[in-house]
Amino acid sequence: MDQKRLIAAIAISIGILLTFEVWNKAHNPAPPPAVTTEAPAAGSTAAVPAPVTPSRPGGTPGTDVSAAAPATPAQIITVNNGRVEGRLSARGLTLEHLTLTDYRETIQPNSPLVTLLAPRGSPDGYFAQWGWTAADGRTRVPDNDTDWTVTGGPLSATTPVTLSWDNGQGQVFEAVVSLDTDYMFHVDQRVRNNAAEAITVLPWGRIRREHTPPLAGFYILHEGFIAVQDGRLVEITYADGKKAQTGERRAQGSAWDNDATQGWAGLSDKYWLTALTRADDGVALRSAFRHIVDGTADRWQVDVAPPAAVTVAPGATANLATRLFAGAKEVRLLDRYRDNLHIQNFDKAIDFGWFYFITKPFFYAIDWLFHFTGNFGIAILLFTLALKIAFFPLANKAYKSMSRMRVLAPKMTEVRERYKDEPQKMQAEMMALYKSEKVNPASGCLPILLQIPVFFALYKVLLVTIEMRHAPFFGWIRDLSAPDPTNLFNLFGLFAFTPPTFLHLPAWALIMGITMFMQQRLNPQPPDPIQAKVFAWMPVIFTFMLASFPAGLVIYWSWNNLLSVAQQWYIMRGVAKANPKPPAQGGAVTAKK
Amino acid sequence: MSPAGAALKGAVVAYQWTLRPLIGCNCRFYPSCSDYALEALTAHGALRGSWLSTRRILRCNPWHAGGYDPVPPSPRSPSPARPSPTQDAPSLARTSPEI
Repeated sequence: MDQKRLIAAIAISIGILLTFEVWNKAHNPAPPPAVTTEAPAAGSTAAVPAPVTPSRPGGTPGTDVSAAAPATPAQIITVNNGRVEGRLSARGLTLEHLTLTDYRETIQPNSPLVTLLAPRGSPDGYFAQWGWTAADGRTRVPDNDTDWTVTGGPLSATTPVTLSWDNGQGQVFEAVVSLDTDYMFHVDQRVRNNAAEAITVLPWGRIRREHTPPLAGFYILHEGFIAVQDGRLVEITYADGKKAQTGERRAQGSAWDNDATQGWAGLSDKYWLTALTRADDGVALRSAFRHIVDGTADRWQVDVAPPAAVTVAPGATANLATRLFAGAKEVRLLDRYRDNLHIQNFDKAIDFGWFYFITKPFFYAIDWLFHFTGNFGIAILLFTLALKIAFFPLANKAYKSMSRMRVLAPKMTEVRERYKDEPQKMQAEMMALYKSEKVNPASGCLPILLQIPVFFALYKVLLVTIEMRHAPFFGWIRDLSAPDPTNLFNLFGLFAFTPPTFLHLPAWALIMGITMFMQQRLNPQPPDPIQAKVFAWMPVIFTFMLASFPAGLVIYWSWNNLLSVAQQWYIMRGVAKANPKPPAQGGAVTAKK
Repeated sequence: MSPAGAALKGAVVAYQWTLRPLIGCNCRFYPSCSDYALEALTAHGALRGSWLSTRRILRCNPWHAGGYDPVPPSPRSPSPARPSPTQDAPSLARTSPEI
């Protein structure tokens, strides 16, 4: 039952996703309009440096209080560990800029580095911040305009930074920020209560995105909010995040929240991720995903905080230690963080999908071949070849029976002649003949169905992993993750003419179409004549559909078709050798079947 | 027809029109696994229909002879609601003694 459903679901999803991807591409949302520089938000408390008013008892870090910037420039701590460069602002304790020095925006060697985080108020505003909410409504807590006192720095893999702020009412707030050699920040925030009265405060960390990013828009690729909570993977797209806010959730500006003792929560792009998690194992945290409409702009927020506000007795200290990941979703790096820092299922930030258990090993295999060959494209071709070899015995077993088919050829021709005008009946008679003679030319549905998840998994690896990004192949393919830039309609660059996007027909898509046509000639036809017509058009449809797909996928697909043809040819040749004198007619029959 | 049965049949039809042209028809049986599934879901409902279809797909491998393999008749309605391909092939009994 479940298996049947699963198989049905696999089949339908593959069919539909191919259609949807193209549709989605065509309907890709245009990049959102630039967000205007943030003015003091109307309605929010603006007295500087007034405490951030909690939005409800217990406090959520959702309410964003901004105010006119003080005149003096904020103190900036430089962040640099060799893989990231950025700025940590001592005003509001905000990681407001982060550039990934190993990744460039385009394949041009001098193109700008990928900027992941950008300050509030810039068009790409995207930042991380740590702070406190006064749950008791009276404790003076640091806010967006608080200038923390900096000790140490600049922030690097070897030098942490300590920020502190005395609120003048007996409480001293402190945050120790450190960074590893890759993409992981560690922030330990503390408050020491030197006053005579107890205070109730809520420490939090948040990731804030001040716009909806341009999406890759693939149906099978998740972009948006992502979390693992006590082993459960949660994925909410930006669109669903907006829809989720109804009733009480709308009042809190929350699309989702959950308490857990393991896992993480963040915002995922195709290749990049920002995520917050606990630094100490087993600490209970409430993670939330929020959507706030600010004028015409969408604001997105992921925050983590203890499930309840903390009461700090006089003379006592309260703390919250969190980690922030901000960087590229490199498979092995995420694996390492998962194992060494105990960040549960952190590798699931890469959308390996349902077939994680095959997709992930496939990635390792291709990556291994890549280090061996130095070319990701070659690695894909070698791996596909290996898969074909693994499945070869199945195909071979089926085609072996072809040798016996030749003996049957006269009987088959007879059936064919008799039921020329009734294809369904002919099919039935043919099957009866196969059964009585104990031969069968088809390999069966089970082997084919087993192959579907395998090839789907490979497709997924090529689509989601950053390792294929900007990886060159040969000739004109300089980025396997981007569409093939050539186009038939300007004779592959012979004319200086850029055809409209719907007329994009690159060389590799044509190669794919031709190989698909060749491969289909060897496949059995559907019994239904209308379906057989659809079948005949498939190579043409796919040539156009795959034109805008990553070149790596199209190359893989072409190669796979070519290998299928070669395999069939090889087996047929073996069959022909085993039967030196087959009737000429029989050969024709098997070729047609 | 239950909603689950209708959904499953929809999935099978979707397969026939999208994926089957792509991967080719490799079924060793008549009727083919997808036709068998449609018929089994109609005659036996979502649960038993799925079970029958799953068993059929598992049988459809190179180590099974294949051939003519109709959906077993439904215990509730002795004659299927719609004409089934099995009735179109009366001469089969002659060529295959197993049936």
